[in-house]
Amino acid sequence: MGRLVRAGLAAGAVTIFLALVGLIERFKDLELVGSQITLSLLFLVLPPFVAGYVVGRPRVERGERREVTRNEALTWGAIAGAVSGALVGAATVFADAFGIDRIRAVFIQATSGLIEILTFGLTPVVGALVLVALSAVAGALGGGLHLLPARIRRPVVSAVTAVLLLGFLQRIVPVALAELNLADEWLYFHAGGLTWFGAAVVAAAAVGISILRDRQGSQIRARLSFGGNGSGREGMDLGRLIALAVIVALLLAIPQLLGTVISDVLGSVMVFILLGLGLNIVVGYAGLLDLGYVAFFAFGAYTTGILTGGNLNSFQGITKPVVSADLNFYLAIPVVVVLAALVGVLIGAPVLRLRGDYLALVTLGLGEMVTVLVASPWLTPLVGGPSGMRDVSDAAIGNISFRDPKSFYYLALAFVLLALFVSRRLYGSRIGRAWTAMREDEQTADAMGISTTSYKLLAFAMGGAIGSLGGALFAVKIGSLTPASFEVLVSIQVLGIVILGGLGSLPGVVVGALVLVGLPGVLREFEEYRLLAYGAALVAVMVLRPQGLVPNVRRSRELQEEEVAQDAWAAGSPDEEAPAVETAAT
Amino acid sequence: MSRLERLPWRRIILIVLSLALLTLVIVGSVATLSKPAGQGGYSGKTWVGFIVDGIAQGAIIALIALGYTLVYGILRMINFAHGEVMMAGAFASFFFLDAYAASGFLNRHPITVLLIVTFVAVIVSMSVAVLLERIAYRPLRNAPRLVPLITAIGASLFLSNAFRGFFGPQARGYPKPDVLTGSFDIGGLDIPKVRVLVFVVAIVCMLSLQLFVARTKTGRSMRAVAQDREIASLMGIDVNRVIMITFAIGGLLAGVAGVLFAETFEQVRFDMGFRPGIAAFTAAVLGGIGSIGGAALGGFALGLLQSIGPALLLSGFGIPSPFSLKDAFTFLVLVLVLVFRPGGLLGTGEQEKV
Amino acid sequence: MSANAAAPTPVLEIRGVQKHFGGLYALSGLDMEVHEGEIVSVIGPNGAGKSTLFNVITGIYEPDDGDVLYGGASIVGLRPHQVVKLGIARTFQNVRLFANMTILENAMVGQHCRSHGGLFGSILRTPGVRAEEQRIRERAETALAFFGRRLVGYRLDQPAFSLSYANRRRLEMARAMATDPTMILLDEPTAGMNPRETLELRDHIVRMRDEVGLTVIVIEHDMRVVKGVSDRVIACDYGQKIAEGTYDEVAHDERVIEAYLGTKAD
Repeated sequence: MGRLVRAGLAAGAVTIFLALVGLIERFKDLELVGSQITLSLLFLVLPPFVAGYVVGRPRVERGERREVTRNEALTWGAIAGAVSGALVGAATVFADAFGIDRIRAVFIQATSGLIEILTFGLTPVVGALVLVALSAVAGALGGGLHLLPARIRRPVVSAVTAVLLLGFLQRIVPVALAELNLADEWLYFHAGGLTWFGAAVVAAAAVGISILRDRQGSQIRARLSFGGNGSGREGMDLGRLIALAVIVALLLAIPQLLGTVISDVLGSVMVFILLGLGLNIVVGYAGLLDLGYVAFFAFGAYTTGILTGGNLNSFQGITKPVVSADLNFYLAIPVVVVLAALVGVLIGAPVLRLRGDYLALVTLGLGEMVTVLVASPWLTPLVGGPSGMRDVSDAAIGNISFRDPKSFYYLALAFVLLALFVSRRLYGSRIGRAWTAMREDEQTADAMGISTTSYKLLAFAMGGAIGSLGGALFAVKIGSLTPASFEVLVSIQVLGIVILGGLGSLPGVVVGALVLVGLPGVLREFEEYRLLAYGAALVAVMVLRPQGLVPNVRRSRELQEEEVAQDAWAAGSPDEEAPAVETAAT
Repeated sequence: MSRLERLPWRRIILIVLSLALLTLVIVGSVATLSKPAGQGGYSGKTWVGFIVDGIAQGAIIALIALGYTLVYGILRMINFAHGEVMMAGAFASFFFLDAYAASGFLNRHPITVLLIVTFVAVIVSMSVAVLLERIAYRPLRNAPRLVPLITAIGASLFLSNAFRGFFGPQARGYPKPDVLTGSFDIGGLDIPKVRVLVFVVAIVCMLSLQLFVARTKTGRSMRAVAQDREIASLMGIDVNRVIMITFAIGGLLAGVAGVLFAETFEQVRFDMGFRPGIAAFTAAVLGGIGSIGGAALGGFALGLLQSIGPALLLSGFGIPSPFSLKDAFTFLVLVLVLVFRPGGLLGTGEQEKV
Repeated sequence: MSANAAAPTPVLEIRGVQKHFGGLYALSGLDMEVHEGEIVSVIGPNGAGKSTLFNVITGIYEPDDGDVLYGGASIVGLRPHQVVKLGIARTFQNVRLFANMTILENAMVGQHCRSHGGLFGSILRTPGVRAEEQRIRERAETALAFFGRRLVGYRLDQPAFSLSYANRRRLEMARAMATDPTMILLDEPTAGMNPRETLELRDHIVRMRDEVGLTVIVIEHDMRVVKGVSDRVIACDYGQKIAEGTYDEVAHDERVIEAYLGTKAD
């Protein structure tokens, strides 16, 4: 019983947290499905649901793993949910009685609007009771989820997730459909969420896909995986080539499909994918925790600016930097990249012998130093100080400027594809093997003939090169540079992208960037809560699923304790179903 | 194997770098000191001011650094979110202090109010620290070192932005009782009263901590767990409890530091924990991480370095407005310490054997 | 056992090597020689400094005094990866595989020091690099095949952590052999193996010398293995050599018996 109460209280606390931080009120108008299911409602209902789910999990009691009976699952879930609702309800009633305005003197999000949401527009006590009931139901549902056999549970979860996700993406999907002149009103409301009909369609599709996946699952996944094999045995067969061609065609069509605004967001996503790919080499492949990656980003951006004739905003008006050149963007790029690689080596050289967290600290320090230096009066003659630099090249070819969102998308896409190609090739090569060995056991790798010094430096150099490419692109996109864009936060964001997507996983970087940069870009209301979500996501990923969203299978085991990934790996072999078993003959 | 490959390159480069740095330091200092006041140089009184500031700053940094060093000693991880622990306490104390100030109670009974307010800060900081351990760090006790590090960063982001969500992005003025405004005249020098308070409180806390760890049973348990977690548990020590207590103590000190910091700079803000946090773990590393004396020493050293360093070294080279580079200076110190002497000032000077 | 033909210069010479950690003297003046094509066993009670000796030879530690000569030239101060390149391979007492890499990949890592594929070659997959990768793979498979059918076929793509204990040890040896060494150092290769596996390994060690031409230094505790493979046995205690000779000579040496069993109480 204590367990249930604890879960309920925790869920209730989370809900109160969400309320006080402003999320519940902020999104009361973000309709996901119909006009009733708003994001606010989701926030209210999710914590008790999770509490119910957690409480109904099979447990180990007296050494035995014990499944939960139907009654237990439902009642326990309901109780946990009810406790959660009770806590929130009580807090709401108290707040209303105490005077919400007095509370707002401290917690600025405590408004009467919030109270209204929490009580569903009813009087406080009645509203609180409704909330308790609603939470109990949510909790029961959460607990009940365990009762469904896996065959049914997966499609159901997929359906719900898909519906919510598509409701979330209401800024993107309808726009795309509109551009394609597909009928819109039946799927989405105008400037709103999914219609109920649309939700049904999406759910049905999700169920279908989920069932298909279960049947074909591992095969399809293997085909699509970019994991790459260190022994380089996979080749390019026809099937993969076709799949690749289709994907590339889609990518090329996107700006036409989705319009300018979204192309702009995707442009930023591309820049971050580039940064993520670079950091992926340093952290994901070579295992060097670099927290100062913003240094390469800044270096790439400012150097590009300097080399392509950028001007400084200074007191005297517009001046040239102390060092300046007026090269064509495409001539400047190789210079920038090579210089950045050298900087990477310079940064890497002193830190070679350092252990994990010390390395992180040093790189953090170096990154911070760059941030401060770039804004400092000392370097103002070179990079413009707080006012920054302007008139960076727009990477024009002929009279096509790449600064407008749609064209920039193509430029960025080219760079990203290049970086993806390089990363993939490196991973499957002798170099990638050396990095992997080094990451597993540095001393042994050294003892097996791998010069860890050289390969660490190489990783820093490659990471720096690709990162600077991202910076150069950024400079082109924005056209002017200020130190505000180069805070240490950028390093953390890029790290978040790589981690969330999955360390060492190329598709993971793409997914990570889409989620962490794309979503907030498209859904403007999230801008405010972006960092909060970042922080929560980092913690959640590390605690719950350290291998990320699209794991690199090899890395999975390094990062988590369970044997699940092991079995999956071993079972993936074409000519056996079970993990390796020693035969008697050996 | 050619002669070229057999030279101890690393040692050579390090020696060259050290010499270069040393030269820079000497040249810069001499240049600054030889300049008359007003033309890039500083008067004696200004230097004293720098030193006083540095010591007071250092005291606050030391208090926070103690939290880092304690956690590192026990878990071998850097609790990146510790700066936010301090911020939480400072912020909580703000609301109480503000109320007392508004009603005039503050100036009538400054000591009582400050004690109450510090108590609030301590409670909140301790709670945040313990919650942090319970939710974010405990599940990761046995994970590879990369994982808790990233979690800590995430927690730091989360906490600071949560407080931004709760209380808004603006800075809030932190009231100062009249009793603390102004300076003492000690031997002809003007020393702000706040700085004196900070110094005294910090020293008291540090000594208490040292006594606690050295003399009490819990302190002994902490040291045991820091040495060898597994054996300590076999000796009957409740490791989970000890770790929780460690975080709590760190939180306590951070809470006190938060109040002191807020009083010194007269404001609180949701992101006030970040820079002091970095300074604090720089200090802990500087002094030798894992060692209480090291954290204290490192804190004061860093405080002095921060206030004197930029002026002393950079002015000499004619670098304009050296104080804007104060933070860069701190990071430079961090980098140098980690590269040349990762064991810190009180360490052995050798690389830990992996 | 083949008669040991003493080469003009010993392949490996250890002269007065000392290594201490703080107050602990792991090696205090060790002298020994190994000739080409020999199988030498190093025995001694735990803590006698045997693994430390391997670490010094392979460059993981630098000796505080003394010298290590390979092929007549001093190798003190070389980093481990440079030592491997010279032709000295080793295994570890506690098997240190790259657990999350496949068996084939583990072996291919061994070939790293014998290949050159650089940055641009790897990215562009030039014909030269592709041919080299092919060669690396073949060499690795050959090394793995040395142990029979256990580490070949479908096994190649299995992760190393899925192997049984004995197979892990074999993989480690295969990986060492994949570095194309001239001398191989085996650190307690049969530790933890059952009797049948132990005897099999004993034969493998002899094959290493007979078929591949390696010079072998083995640290061992299992006297059946020592007796079965050694041309010479060197006994150590407290970081020094206390006896040297054939197995029978050393086994009956008083000092050796005392090191292992102590003296009789009078």
